[in-house]
Amino acid sequence: MVSVADLLTDGRLPGNYFAQDLYVRGSTELGLLENRRGDRLLAIPDPLLQAIYSGLEKETGQASGLVLYNCGRWWGKNFYARFCEELADYYKQPLASLSMAEFLQSLQQCWKTHGWGQIHLDITYRDRGFLGVEIWHSPFTAAAPQGQKPSGDLERGILEIFFTQLTGRELRCAQTSCTAKGDDCNRFILGLDKRLAPVEGMVANGQAHQAIMQTLMQQG
Amino acid sequence: MTFKLDALFDSPDKQYLDASDLSTLSQYVSSIPERMAVYRTLRDQEIAIVQPIADALQQQAGHPEPLVERSVRNGLMVLRYAAMAMLLDDESFVEERLQGWLPEMVKAYETQAVDQQLFQLLHKQLGKVFSPAQLGLLKPSLEKAQSLMLNTRETVTLAGLL
Repeated sequence: MVSVADLLTDGRLPGNYFAQDLYVRGSTELGLLENRRGDRLLAIPDPLLQAIYSGLEKETGQASGLVLYNCGRWWGKNFYARFCEELADYYKQPLASLSMAEFLQSLQQCWKTHGWGQIHLDITYRDRGFLGVEIWHSPFTAAAPQGQKPSGDLERGILEIFFTQLTGRELRCAQTSCTAKGDDCNRFILGLDKRLAPVEGMVANGQAHQAIMQTLMQQG
Repeated sequence: MTFKLDALFDSPDKQYLDASDLSTLSQYVSSIPERMAVYRTLRDQEIAIVQPIADALQQQAGHPEPLVERSVRNGLMVLRYAAMAMLLDDESFVEERLQGWLPEMVKAYETQAVDQQLFQLLHKQLGKVFSPAQLGLLKPSLEKAQSLMLNTRETVTLAGLL
């Protein structure tokens, strides 16, 4: 029998930890924004993002994507650790016993509340060993130089390391569509290195997300 | 905190509150004792109100225990947020806190059908505990929560990952 009293062991009913009006706070007398745990938050102006892209392009040229990708991995590693720590604290249980639904929904809410756009997981290709991620309204690729190549390198890095740590398997991430080249959102594919290898070439040839996925599926 | 009256308190740089603003404020203030009474009842009788619903969902409707447990959890959450929204006289509180969370949980655990029955039973239960006037205070936020939960139109689903 379901006992309501047992469901409410310590009277708590954890919900949306990252609800925006709860999560973002400020210590205005110090001039700081904070999250609900008192960790520092920072608002980055659009022109600064644009300046980073253009500065990198000017100083490192073709390597700028690689630099951003590595920054993304660095960021993602720390983001994953902090994200897990916050959730474990909030749910008062080790992360391993948190359900996947709560974990992933928290990730979506977290992403949104930080102003990084809307992140959605696409599990259509799960049986074939690929995980799709869509990011809508990304502020990062919105500030990136417009062109023919995907420019979500920062996000590619974050996602790669985040899901690598989550799944415990060395995953690679490739971007198949990008708002900076006129697509409706940023799409990423995560999978094992050797299975994902052909994607880079197809992206470089300007193939669309659907076509790339089709080819990947045919390869089995 | 979100609060319907925030708009009133936002405006000292514009002008003093006019008669109708002050009357809005005084209506709210005079409704507070009743709101607190309802809130206290919900708080103190949370288990007494919800346990019969859990029993009915499991015994009469015959839903499996894990599903009932999830649904009851949803119901408890809705009731808590609705209680707070009622205290604040601000049904958008329910929306802001539950949107992007509860509907997704409903989908992920596929409790729609059970939740639907849970809401019917909940309305019945609350009818036993509260007067029609008191129910009127709770109704806007409960309805908001209900439509939020049972109107899951977003296409993204996590159910397949579980």
